Amino acid sequence: MTADVQAARWSLRLRAWSRRHMAWIIIGTIVAALGVVTVAQSPSNPDTASLSAGNAAPDGAMAAAEILRRQGVTVTPSDSFAATTSLLAGKPRATVLVYDRNGYLDSAQLHTLQKSAGRLVVVAPGYRTLAGLSRQIRNAGVVPNGTSTLEAGCGQTDATVAGRISVKGALLYKGADVTCYRPSNNDGGVYAASADGRLVILGSTALLSNDLLQVEGNAALALRTLGPTQDLVWYLPGLSDVPNDGRPPTLDELAPPWVGFLGLWVAVVALLAVLWRGRRLGPLVFEPLPVVVKAVETAEGRARLYQDSRAVGQAADNLRAGTLTRLAKHFRLGPEAPANAVLEAVSRKVNHPARELRMVLLDHRPRTESELVHWAQRIETLEQEATAP
Amino acid sequence: MAITGRFVLLAFAALAALLLIPAWGTVLLAAAALLALVLGDVLMAASPAKIALQRKDPRNVTLHADTESVLTLENRNRRTFRAMVRDAWQPSAGAVAPVQRLKIPAGERRRMSVVLKPTRRGDLAAPHVTLRSFGPLGLAARQRTVVLPGRLRVLPPFNSKRHLPSKLRKLRELDGKAAVQIRGAGTEFDSLRDYVRGDDVRSIDWRATARRTAVVVRTWRPERDRRVVIMLDTSRTAAARIDDEPRLDTGIEAALLLAVLAERGGDRVDFFAFDRRVRGRVDSAAKGNLLGSLVQAMAPLGAELIEMDWAAIPAQVRAISAHRSLVVLLTSLDSGAPEEGLIPLVAQLVRQHTVLLGSVRDPLLGRMKKERTTASQVFRASAAERALLDREAVSAQLRQLGAEVVDAEPLELPPLLADAYIRLKAAGRL
Repeated sequence: MTADVQAARWSLRLRAWSRRHMAWIIIGTIVAALGVVTVAQSPSNPDTASLSAGNAAPDGAMAAAEILRRQGVTVTPSDSFAATTSLLAGKPRATVLVYDRNGYLDSAQLHTLQKSAGRLVVVAPGYRTLAGLSRQIRNAGVVPNGTSTLEAGCGQTDATVAGRISVKGALLYKGADVTCYRPSNNDGGVYAASADGRLVILGSTALLSNDLLQVEGNAALALRTLGPTQDLVWYLPGLSDVPNDGRPPTLDELAPPWVGFLGLWVAVVALLAVLWRGRRLGPLVFEPLPVVVKAVETAEGRARLYQDSRAVGQAADNLRAGTLTRLAKHFRLGPEAPANAVLEAVSRKVNHPARELRMVLLDHRPRTESELVHWAQRIETLEQEATAP
Repeated sequence: MAITGRFVLLAFAALAALLLIPAWGTVLLAAAALLALVLGDVLMAASPAKIALQRKDPRNVTLHADTESVLTLENRNRRTFRAMVRDAWQPSAGAVAPVQRLKIPAGERRRMSVVLKPTRRGDLAAPHVTLRSFGPLGLAARQRTVVLPGRLRVLPPFNSKRHLPSKLRKLRELDGKAAVQIRGAGTEFDSLRDYVRGDDVRSIDWRATARRTAVVVRTWRPERDRRVVIMLDTSRTAAARIDDEPRLDTGIEAALLLAVLAERGGDRVDFFAFDRRVRGRVDSAAKGNLLGSLVQAMAPLGAELIEMDWAAIPAQVRAISAHRSLVVLLTSLDSGAPEEGLIPLVAQLVRQHTVLLGSVRDPLLGRMKKERTTASQVFRASAAERALLDREAVSAQLRQLGAEVVDAEPLELPPLLADAYIRLKAAGRL
């Protein structure tokens, strides 16, 4: 019986709590749902590496890889040195495509690759990479600005069959035996190979990239260079291939073991401090605030209206009427006194001919704002003189 | 449930253990120990639900004066109640120390008094009291908010009472003087007394002089027991702020001074605050202290954001007084279109009553009028001039109808209104 009552009371309390915090519950649910949707919708680890066999973007090389696959070549992408060597162990005659843009591989690794691969096709190697591969082939600068296509110009079969290719921005190499696609006045070419044909250097990434593959003879040259063997290992070296002996220790290894706990515990203490300071001593008490209306608001609004519409005449009339009314009251002429009577009284007081005063007080009609300012100050001075004791 | 600074410090101190033995086991152990301490302390705290609370409402107080709100707490737990208690007054009540620490042994009671220095007129509220009961270790607390409404009525300050002595002196001077100036209906014969130099020779009573050796004059006294009906406008125009005070508060000051003066002058004073319905009312027939009941009636008044119902006022006045009375209207002259509301009302009232109209003028208009250096200032001056002319025109129209108009700046209004009353009384126009 008592347990029932207790349970009922608890459920009542729970319901009251959920009703009171309904807004927060709804907001929390929405935020959580949004988070789940965002995580679910984000593509899982997209392949964005340039010249990657799985990258369909303009700088990828999925098209070339797909064409090779359809022609019966087994294309195996690889992104680590270990995987590549283990692949090559099973296929000693395979061709290996290496695109080492950042020069991760050192000469020992390159030698291993060269030894275990049937053919090595290297795309746009840097100086260090090239030096590790061969002493016969050298860097020879870049294709000069303004040259966008080149003819084969050599006896290599692949190059002559492919014919003209696009070479914009390509690197040049000078091979001891085979050098094709030479720009004029240069002894380096975009295509260089060793005498036995086991090492081929391609100076241009455009030959393989999705966006330029169909231009000129690019596709022919690329496919002929990569396609002669049954197996092709598509190797893009990554950061993990950098030989890691002798590198400096990371911050994690340097720090003493308690640092991780320190951060964690300080965070916990900070959270506790937030809870301590954030707990309010009861709800806020409301202050019914009064409306604040400035009494001169209407007069100021009217002043802005006058100014916006440049109502100089109207403004002058107001000032004139005010001055005359006060002067009439000062000289006790009664509220209905004619302007001439006021004028005479003023002229007697300040010892000025009434005609001159009439020009100022009654007949002057300011036309511009500067005239208005000037005149307003003048009649104010006049009023002060007239009402001075 | 709440934790204290002591608990946060303790958690911080646990860092030392963690630095000595950096392991996950230590983290878990420390967390478990802290959790156990908090839970234990909360369980050991006295239950705030078993505290009996009683509130003694503070007495009425005038604005800017002090008063005291007293809470009585009785501990019905079997443990000592260590607590932080908050008496939640609204901010304008100006509570000096609304949060206090208390320690009440089991079964005893304590008083907690909070000094209030209110900064606003009206009814101020304290809707609840919050109790935070700490455990014996002072690491954690149980918190509970108890609904316990309290109310403080803050009365209008009546700053204009400093004018009262001088105005009363003026009123006394009327005795025996009024009749000299105006002979006729409405003045009452008071008594005979010996002639002193300076008395008007026309007031010598020759019959009485003949019976005695000295010259005797008649003295008169002003009428008494006339009715004064004060109407205070609480419509939207009363909300306007003039010199950092709502027009309504200036009206209250003026009404208080006038009412006290008229009562001392022997007249019967009725008051009502009106916009579309009666917001407050004080009857002359009621017994007791007039000033007290007036401030009580005026304290909760606030400007309502609605238009004045002018057409309903004659009926209200008639309901209060069927006879000729002095009707004082405390309103504003620039309320939209006076031709449609105020002027027809006054025209109707003057047929039966004497009407005195009091209105607050904004001193800012006078200052705006005088600044004429730049073009925008001259336009402002012109607009101010127009506003003042419009007021002047309305006042002139009202005077023509036969009403008295007092249009003055906030500090001037109460004494000028009192002067107008004395003038009317001296002239026997009540």
